[in-house]
Amino acid sequence: MTMTRLELVCPAGTPATLRAAVQAGADAVYCGFRDETNARNFPGLNFSRDELAEGVRFAHDHGSKVLVAINTFARVDDVDIWKKAADAAAESGADAIIAADFAVLDHVAKNHSQIRLHLSVQAAAATPEAIGFYAAQFGIRRVVLPRVLSLQEIAALNRAIDVETEAFVFGGLCVMIEGRCYLSSYATGKSPNLNGVCSPPQMVSYDEEPGGTTARLSGFTIDRYERGQPVGYPTLCKGKFKADGRTSHLFEDPVSLNAGGMIAGLKAAGVTALKIEGRQRGKGYVSEVVRAFRKAVDAVEKGGEPLDIGRLLAGQSEGARQTAGAYEKKWR
Amino acid sequence: MPEIARTETMLTLGPVFFHWSPDRLLDFYRRIADEAPVERVHVGEVVCGKRMPFSDPAWPAAIERLERGGKQVVLSTLAAPATVRERKSLEDICGDERLVEINDVSGLPSRSGKAFVTGPFINVYNEASAKFLIKLGAQTICPPVELSFAAAGAMSVKCPEAEFEIFAFGRLPLALSGRCYHARIHGLHKDSCQFTCERDPDGLAVDTLDDQQFLAINGVQTLSNQVQAFCPAPDALASKGIRRLRLSPQTCDMVEVARIYRRLADGREEPEDARFALSCLDLPGTLVDGCAHARPGWQVIASP
Amino acid sequence: MRPPNAEPMLPGLFRQLFPAVAGLPLGPLLTLSLRSLARRRPGLFERLGESRSACFGIDPVDLAFAFRVVPEGQRSSVRVVSKDEAARSDVQIKGPLLTLLGLLDGTLDGDAMFFSRVISISGRTEAVLALRNTIEDAELRPADLLGLHGILARCVDTGVLGALSIARRLADKNPSGAREA
Repeated sequence: MTMTRLELVCPAGTPATLRAAVQAGADAVYCGFRDETNARNFPGLNFSRDELAEGVRFAHDHGSKVLVAINTFARVDDVDIWKKAADAAAESGADAIIAADFAVLDHVAKNHSQIRLHLSVQAAAATPEAIGFYAAQFGIRRVVLPRVLSLQEIAALNRAIDVETEAFVFGGLCVMIEGRCYLSSYATGKSPNLNGVCSPPQMVSYDEEPGGTTARLSGFTIDRYERGQPVGYPTLCKGKFKADGRTSHLFEDPVSLNAGGMIAGLKAAGVTALKIEGRQRGKGYVSEVVRAFRKAVDAVEKGGEPLDIGRLLAGQSEGARQTAGAYEKKWR
Repeated sequence: MPEIARTETMLTLGPVFFHWSPDRLLDFYRRIADEAPVERVHVGEVVCGKRMPFSDPAWPAAIERLERGGKQVVLSTLAAPATVRERKSLEDICGDERLVEINDVSGLPSRSGKAFVTGPFINVYNEASAKFLIKLGAQTICPPVELSFAAAGAMSVKCPEAEFEIFAFGRLPLALSGRCYHARIHGLHKDSCQFTCERDPDGLAVDTLDDQQFLAINGVQTLSNQVQAFCPAPDALASKGIRRLRLSPQTCDMVEVARIYRRLADGREEPEDARFALSCLDLPGTLVDGCAHARPGWQVIASP
Repeated sequence: MRPPNAEPMLPGLFRQLFPAVAGLPLGPLLTLSLRSLARRRPGLFERLGESRSACFGIDPVDLAFAFRVVPEGQRSSVRVVSKDEAARSDVQIKGPLLTLLGLLDGTLDGDAMFFSRVISISGRTEAVLALRNTIEDAELRPADLLGLHGILARCVDTGVLGALSIARRLADKNPSGAREA
């Protein structure tokens, strides 16, 4: 069990959000380059090389770290683009590179031994054997845990491995094992692993129809909303489908993760860092969520009463409904 | 039609993704051993460790029968091992002298240094990753189903020391979850799932609200509703150095599927005719091949 | 009803404050301020990527007219158009004026406004997203849009933001007005 202070790792989709996260109390921010090398490759998001260097200076001046996600899988014949992104991250003075592809991990391990390597959630490493393999081969210092493990499993895992673990505590919830989901590719031809996007916006349409607003992805109906009802983004696995004569949110209800009530449990399970999802979200969101988690983590570190973070942040989640996800075993 | 010299393309029968009874598995592999023109057959549970106590008793007899029929048997392993029992079983299989298919990085420490196959659940997207795995012992690489034929070919050209295999036939394995959808749809939890996935030997169809055929569920796995039917001409395969085509078992006549692909690979049947012959079988969905062409997977492109 | 060709003009107070541009109709005035913003902060427009040349129809539902904006750096243009013409753009963004202004200065979160349907969006979703992310990062103040500096800029910012905030509170009290989610 670790006795160090929990590290709060926060998202930054733009330089302005990076500054907002740092000022709201992030111990570390994670961000990516404005290209297909990171898993949040959305229009208008992410950093140029210069913006990253400037972001690193700002974060370091305020005592925060910067972790750079280069966590998609390199395209055949274009591996250099990913290698150069890793080189630029190392040159920027960032504190760690978050990667998933063997090619990227190998390149960083061989050429940039001074920078920490974190294994991205996209690598889906969930067993002591898998994590041990990445540690032995590439010297990874931390693994971002797949969002399918229960608290008990995380505790058992931490007893069996030598590297730090980072667990998601708030934001969008992938119900599929990340890095191994090709649903978006099947529907749209664009995927998280190859293009850094899931259910990409250019394939989304909201059609006003007599039955209400229909959200479609690549022509497939993902959900339908009555007039005036709040709509959701048509992420494939959050849609409403028909199977076995029933209509339901088969894969996952439109909820988002909030493990704010489990901070003490995660610390007891040996987790080193808590991660907030949402590089696609705005400054307002990031500031509010980071501030709330800063308070909650500080309360846990002081051994005080845990805060009701759910009530604090109910308005910031999609559809305003939240779940503790796989941390509670009944989720399965 | 004049006999054309047999090409180097080999056919692989992939592992059964679905929860088939031991009797069904044995009947299936008996017929494959006797009649299917495939060189290699994968056996073993890949999707759900909870099914292993049911299927495990069937494997020794199936393997014996297949090897007697002249097939090379590959032992496939779990794509998402989690429990102590599953991890132990993975380690045991990795110690086997037969070829083993690795479907999760968890298997690499105990298999490194010995020959293995990487299945479509291992993310090999580029030549550098392929070379890394080849150094550890990868002999055949079947990239994730979302990777195009052109990209797999580009990798193959740069890594001639390994065989590359394309997922040519069957419902596409698209996702895995910690959550069991068969259990969820029947109001059960994964830990007490009652094995309802047994009722759907090809997976359970998932349609959109507008009745578009879209996906299929198989326990913790999500597949395409449509059936991949990538039918490349022999010279297209040769020019890309793709040595193997993988056929993934469905309940349709897999011996006939293998015969169609054998004729296709030998140049005795045109791709168009092969597709037509496949479409006449009792399939769980319509034929698609978009993924192989770097297009959305549900689309039908149908060349080369 | 406004005749179709007559462009709306700035209110009298603004005309007195900014005599240099006060004579311009609203479209050319906004075009000028967008181009001057592009001159001062070129990086901001790079963030838009391919969506720079997209045509955004912005339709404040509580006004009688709409805008057509092409945010193409120094070739940007803003035209005052009819609601019908705005609806024919690559992207249509509709919502109460105060909400749209709130999105521009970052007071309000675009996601929250969209998912709660205070604003509605149709057309090329990726262009909307690019615009939203660009505005998020820009941290625009009213003075930026007017090309002001120094004390005058601070006065305008305080004045305009204060006025907007008051207006929003008033609108919130009005049951028929838009509500923040």
